[in-house]
Amino acid sequence: MKCFSRYLPYIFRPANTILSSSCHTEDVPCFPFAFCHDCKFPEACPDMQNSNVLPSGLLPSGQNKLGPWCSPTGSPAPLSCETGCGEGSWILVCRLLVPTQVSLLSMEEDIDTRKINNSFLRDHSYATEADIISTVEFNHTGELLATGDKGGRVVIFQREQESKNQIHRRGEYNVYSTFQSHEPEFDYLKSLEIEEKINKIRWLPQQNAAYFLLSTNDKTVKLWKVSERDKRPEGYNLKDEEGRLRDPATITTLRVPVLRPMDLMVEATPRRVFANAHTYHINSISVNSDYETYMSADDLRINLWNFEITNQSFNIVDIKPANMEELTEVITAAEFHPHHCNTFVYSSSKGTIRLCDMRASALCDRHTKFFEEPEDPSNRSFFSEIISSISDVKFSHSGRYIMTRDYLTVKVWDLNMENRPIETYQVHDYLRSKLCSLYENDCIFDKFECVWNGSDSVIMTGSYNNFFRMFDRNTKRDVTLEASRENSKPRAILKPRKVCVGGKRRKDEISVDSLDFSKKILHTAWHPSENIIAVAATNNLYIFQDKVN
Amino acid sequence: MEVQKEAQRIMTLSVWKMYHSRMQRGGLRLHRSLQLSLVMRSARELYLSAKVEALEPEVSLPPACPSDPRLHPPREVESTVETATADGEQPSPEPMDTQEAPTAEEIPAYSAPRPAKVSRKRRSSSLRDGGDAGLVPSKKARLEEKEEEEGLSSEVADRLQPPPAQAEGAFPNLARVLQRRFSGLLNCSPAAPPTAPPACEAKPACRPADSMLNVLVRTVVAF
Repeated sequence: MKCFSRYLPYIFRPANTILSSSCHTEDVPCFPFAFCHDCKFPEACPDMQNSNVLPSGLLPSGQNKLGPWCSPTGSPAPLSCETGCGEGSWILVCRLLVPTQVSLLSMEEDIDTRKINNSFLRDHSYATEADIISTVEFNHTGELLATGDKGGRVVIFQREQESKNQIHRRGEYNVYSTFQSHEPEFDYLKSLEIEEKINKIRWLPQQNAAYFLLSTNDKTVKLWKVSERDKRPEGYNLKDEEGRLRDPATITTLRVPVLRPMDLMVEATPRRVFANAHTYHINSISVNSDYETYMSADDLRINLWNFEITNQSFNIVDIKPANMEELTEVITAAEFHPHHCNTFVYSSSKGTIRLCDMRASALCDRHTKFFEEPEDPSNRSFFSEIISSISDVKFSHSGRYIMTRDYLTVKVWDLNMENRPIETYQVHDYLRSKLCSLYENDCIFDKFECVWNGSDSVIMTGSYNNFFRMFDRNTKRDVTLEASRENSKPRAILKPRKVCVGGKRRKDEISVDSLDFSKKILHTAWHPSENIIAVAATNNLYIFQDKVN
Repeated sequence: MEVQKEAQRIMTLSVWKMYHSRMQRGGLRLHRSLQLSLVMRSARELYLSAKVEALEPEVSLPPACPSDPRLHPPREVESTVETATADGEQPSPEPMDTQEAPTAEEIPAYSAPRPAKVSRKRRSSSLRDGGDAGLVPSKKARLEEKEEEEGLSSEVADRLQPPPAQAEGAFPNLARVLQRRFSGLLNCSPAAPPTAPPACEAKPACRPADSMLNVLVRTVVAF
C-alpha cells in the first residue's frame, strides 16, 4: 500500500488539515489508516490493500476497517493534532520511519569490544518517494529531533524522560509531533511546480515553553511554533460542551470557566511565512546567534531576515553576474558563525569558502576571507569540477573551525588559515575511479552533509550502501558503520564495515562493485552534548547511542 | 576514435540529462545545470581536440610538443581535456595527466607507456567572457596516436565498443546528428558560440543566444 498523501493537495484534502490524535478515542478511528500502537506509527493497514481506497477516493470517516493488529483503544497515538477531523476531512499518513531504540556505539572503546545495541520494531518495505527524509536536526538541548521529508512533512521526535523503572529505555526517541509544513505550489508565471520537499530545518533556541523551528522548501521559509496543551477550559456560559451556542434565553446562571486537564495535545502552528524572496532554489537557512535574524541562501543570493518581519529581507550576498552566460559558480551552503552575529560563511560549487563580515558593508559581495585549496594536479580528471563542489559547510561548536564536504572528502579548515585545510579525510576514495559510472547514474550529484559532535572532536558524514563514516580528529581513527535493518538485530553489535578496493576481498568486506548506490546516507545529525546520532537512510531514521556503562 | 566516441557519448548523456532536468518537479536546478554544462563543455573540447588529432598526419605527432600550437588554430576552447572519461569503467586510476614523461601507473591498461602527446596548454585566445578563465582551468590531455590506439590492448578497445553501440541504440540518430553538428562546428570559424546552458535554462522566459545549445536541444526535442 503506498502513501498517497502526495496526491492529496490535488484531490481532496483541505488546507492545513493536520492529523488529530483526538480522533483516536474508543470509537472507530476516522482514518482509513489506523495506528499501530506498538510502534506508535501510523501504517497502512494490511487489510486495506484490496479495498478500493485511493486515489479515486479515500474512505470517509466512519467507514474504516480495522486490521487485526490495530487496537484503537488505549492511549492515543502521539501525533500532532489541531482541530479534529470532522466528517469528510481526513489525512493520509504513511510514514515509514523506523522508531528508535537504544543503540550503542562507542568511539572511545576498542573497536572489538564496541557494543552496539539497537532495535528496530518494524521493517517497512513499501517505501514511497514522499517519505524520503530530506533533513534531520537536533534542537539545542538535544531533547527534540526534527526530520523533514520530500512530502513536505515534519516529524518531531522527543526523547523519553529517564525513569527509574525503565533505565534501559533512556534515550529512546518517540514521535512528538507531525505536521505538514509545506504544500506543493505552482508558480504560474514560470509554469513551474514548487516542490514541497523540506530542504532544511533549523531550531530556534528555546525561550519559553514552546518550541520554534524554521523549515524551508525551495522557495518559502516558515517559522513553526510547536506547543503543548494539556488543559482545556470548561464551563463556558455561551457555549455548551460541544461548542454549540446556547440559546441565551436558557442561561440562568453564570459560571467561571475552569481549566481542566486533558490528554496531552501537541500543536504546530505556522507563525511566520517568509515567501517570495528567492528566485532560485533555497539550499540553506541559518539562525543567527543574536536570535533575531536568520539568513536564507539560494543558488545566487543570500537574504537576511528578521523573524518579526515577513515582507522584507535584506540581500547580503549576490553573486549573480550581469550576464548569466558568465555564470561560473553558485552558492551551495551558508551558515552563520555560532558566536559572532556579524560573521557567516558560504561555500561555492567551485570548492571555495568565503567568510563575510556584515559590518564591512551592507552587501557582502567582497569576502573577508577566502578559503581555497590549490588543486592537486595529479587528481585532475574529467569530473574534477563536479566533485570539488562543496555540498555542506558547518562551523564547529567552538567557532574556530569550519568543515566542508565535497563529493569524496571532508575537510576541516582553521578560520585563521585560508590557503589550505588543516585536515582532509577521505570518505570513499575508492569511488574516484568510478566517477564516470557515477555520472551516468546521477550519483555524482549527490549532496552529502557533515556534522560535528558536541566537543568538535569527531566528525561524521554519510556514504553509499547505507554506510556512514566517523573520523576522530584526535586519534585520527575512522570507522565505517552501516545503518541497515538486515544487519541489526535488537541489541546486536554494530560492527565496523570495510570496503575492499581491489585485490583479495577478505571476509566481511564489501567490494566496491557490490555497493548499492541507491542506498545513500545524505543527512545525519549529532546530539549537541551526548553521543547520540541520527542517521537518515532514505525513508528510515536510525538513532544510535553511545553505550552508557 | 574511441576517445571521440566516448566524448560523444558523454555529451549525449549530458544533453539528455539536461533535457530531463527541465521536466522534473521543481523546475530547473541551476547548480545541476551548471555542472552538466561543465561536463558537456569538457566533453566537447575533448571531442573537438580528438577530431583535430585525427586529422593530423601521423608523422607530425611524435615531436608534437612545439608543433601542436601551430597545428591547432586558435579557437574558443581554453584547454583540452583528458580522456579520463574513457577510463570510467577501468580499474586504473582515472586521471590521465599529460606529463612530459608518461608515468606508468596511469596507464596500466596500455601495453607500453606511450609518449605523451603534448602538454597542450592553450591560452584562452578568445575568451567569451571574463568568468571563463576560472571555469575551465587549463588541463592536460593525453591523446593517443591513431595507430597506437588501434594497437591498444583489447581491454580498451572492447570496452569502448559497447558505448558507441549503446549510444546508437539509445539515440539512433542523435549521435549522428551531434557528430555532424560538431564536425560542422569544427570546420567553421573558431568563434564558436559560448556554452552557457545554465544561463539559458535558468531563465526560461528569455530565449538563449547559444546557438549550439539550441541545436542540441532541438535535436533532443526532436527525438
